[in-house]
Amino acid sequence: MDILRYGHDTYGERIVNGVSWDLLPVAFWAGVAVIVVHLVWRAVSRRSHRSRGGEVR
Amino acid sequence: MSAAGDDRQVRHAGIDRAFHWTTAITMAVLMVTSLLPILGIRFAWYGIHWVAGLVLTLLILLHVVRALIWQRPRAMVLSAADFRAGGAGKYTLAQKLMHLAWAVTILVAVVTGLFLIRKAGVPFLERDPYVRSLAGWGVLTLLHDLAALASVFLILVHVYFGILPEKRAYLKAMLTGFIRRSDLSVEHDLSRVDRGE
Repeated sequence: MDILRYGHDTYGERIVNGVSWDLLPVAFWAGVAVIVVHLVWRAVSRRSHRSRGGEVR
Repeated sequence: MSAAGDDRQVRHAGIDRAFHWTTAITMAVLMVTSLLPILGIRFAWYGIHWVAGLVLTLLILLHVVRALIWQRPRAMVLSAADFRAGGAGKYTLAQKLMHLAWAVTILVAVVTGLFLIRKAGVPFLERDPYVRSLAGWGVLTLLHDLAALASVFLILVHVYFGILPEKRAYLKAMLTGFIRRSDLSVEHDLSRVDRGE
């Protein structure tokens, strides 16, 4: 998986052209990962709160 | 500023709600016009993209002016009290961090986008890719691309937290302008809220 897109300038030197679009799914799945981790943390903390007799919003 | 008969108070003025939802629509247009071609769906995206980009630029300028002159910018600044449970001011720590992330991402996207307009051209500004070296355009494009990737991540996280049942009072406030103090009291120090912190 590439991190950057490359091209060449008029002298043939390699230059950066932008971000590799291979990273687009990475950004998407990173967002999904945050959501999943939060959902798990939320479920665990709500269960422990409920087991202590607390009210869950 | 409670509404009569209940414990509701104004959280977002109409102009701020209009800013939020107009920005959301503009961001959606920008993301669709930039990412669909990358995903293989070809269409004349550039015309829609630069117009939406200029709309976003205008919205951000208006927001910055309004925030600095008519609002309390310190309500969005991180403070030690934000890290205390139930100690948040008008905005929680998570909301301040989300705002900071969006501010950095959108500012990078807008500033680099304004430069890139010169490379691609628009009806009122002739295309001139020679004002900058290819390496210079590459760096600007790199930063613009990074802002796009960050936006994909932030949209997912922002929408998720916006629709969580326990955070729905905030979503409702962004729609109606009002929030109940009883909803605020869960995570907020009401005295800080009243002081505009």
